Amino acid sequence: MSIELFISQFAEQFDETDPTEFTPHTEFKRLNEWSSMHALLIIALIDAEYNIPFTGEDLQTCTTIADIYQIISRRMGSG
Amino acid sequence: MFQQNLQNKTILVTGASSGIGRECAIVLSGMGAELVISGKNEERLQQTLQSLSLGNHRLLAANLTQPDAVAELVNKLPPLNGLLHCAGIWKPQPIKFLQPQTARLIMEVNYMAAVMLVSQLLQQKKMLSGASVVFVSSIAAHQPYKGGAAYAASKAALEAFAKTLALETAHAGMRSNCIAPAMVQSPILIQAQTTVTEAAMQHHLNQYPLRPGVPNDVAQAAAFLLSDASSWITGATLHLNGGIALL
Repeated sequence: MSIELFISQFAEQFDETDPTEFTPHTEFKRLNEWSSMHALLIIALIDAEYNIPFTGEDLQTCTTIADIYQIISRRMGSG
Repeated sequence: MFQQNLQNKTILVTGASSGIGRECAIVLSGMGAELVISGKNEERLQQTLQSLSLGNHRLLAANLTQPDAVAELVNKLPPLNGLLHCAGIWKPQPIKFLQPQTARLIMEVNYMAAVMLVSQLLQQKKMLSGASVVFVSSIAAHQPYKGGAAYAASKAALEAFAKTLALETAHAGMRSNCIAPAMVQSPILIQAQTTVTEAAMQHHLNQYPLRPGVPNDVAQAAAFLLSDASSWITGATLHLNGGIALL
């Protein structure tokens, strides 16, 4: 598991945004393509790939992709 | 309030350990029905049993996804005037990430359990002439929402099953109907709130022309469909949604 891998998985959920736009510092909710469907997809991605609980409320607290990755790392570490 | 009468009716309520199922059991017992309550968790079923109005009620815990457990449960049942099938689960997953095991689990609990239970009830001749069967479906069977593919499909399957049952048992005076509620204050709503966000859920709840539902709304509708007041209604779905389907 690495942040590079997570960023590429995150980027795969987008069809129109250029993959180079995705970095740890990307404020994903400010992307033009971001929608409620992407919120669902990211939650399901984390469930499928990392098998940890991650909710809409968690996503709400995150601003950057790194924020999400930190939550995943923390929960995987404690699991 | 108009009080519906279920005196002298023996009714099996599944999914009675929490949420809508528990509230329905409490309301039906208050209308004079004699209940057999079922669910997976015996401890929580005990809590439901203690909340019921006085009467000769029984508790039979069972996992309805297991064929042997279903046959054993049905074997222990007295002859029934009614079945209220509330057992169900909810889990959102967008189609892109819909895992086969999740889709199968939702179908097993929400659809296959009903199939096995009703089949056994008929085989073991536990449904009395004139009996009424009520399934708790969902607005999801009629109005899709993002992430709801497996749940909506399971409830649509349940409704198709209920209609077929209505046809196959009408000769015995039996009836089979569904209730399709929209969002009801229940453990599933709490689960939905954490999956999306409380703000998104509040936005949804604010859209109801009347109001979102409470478990008692479902219980009152179930009581009507289980009572003789609805004796000409079969193969129907009663939509309970505070008017949200009008939007």
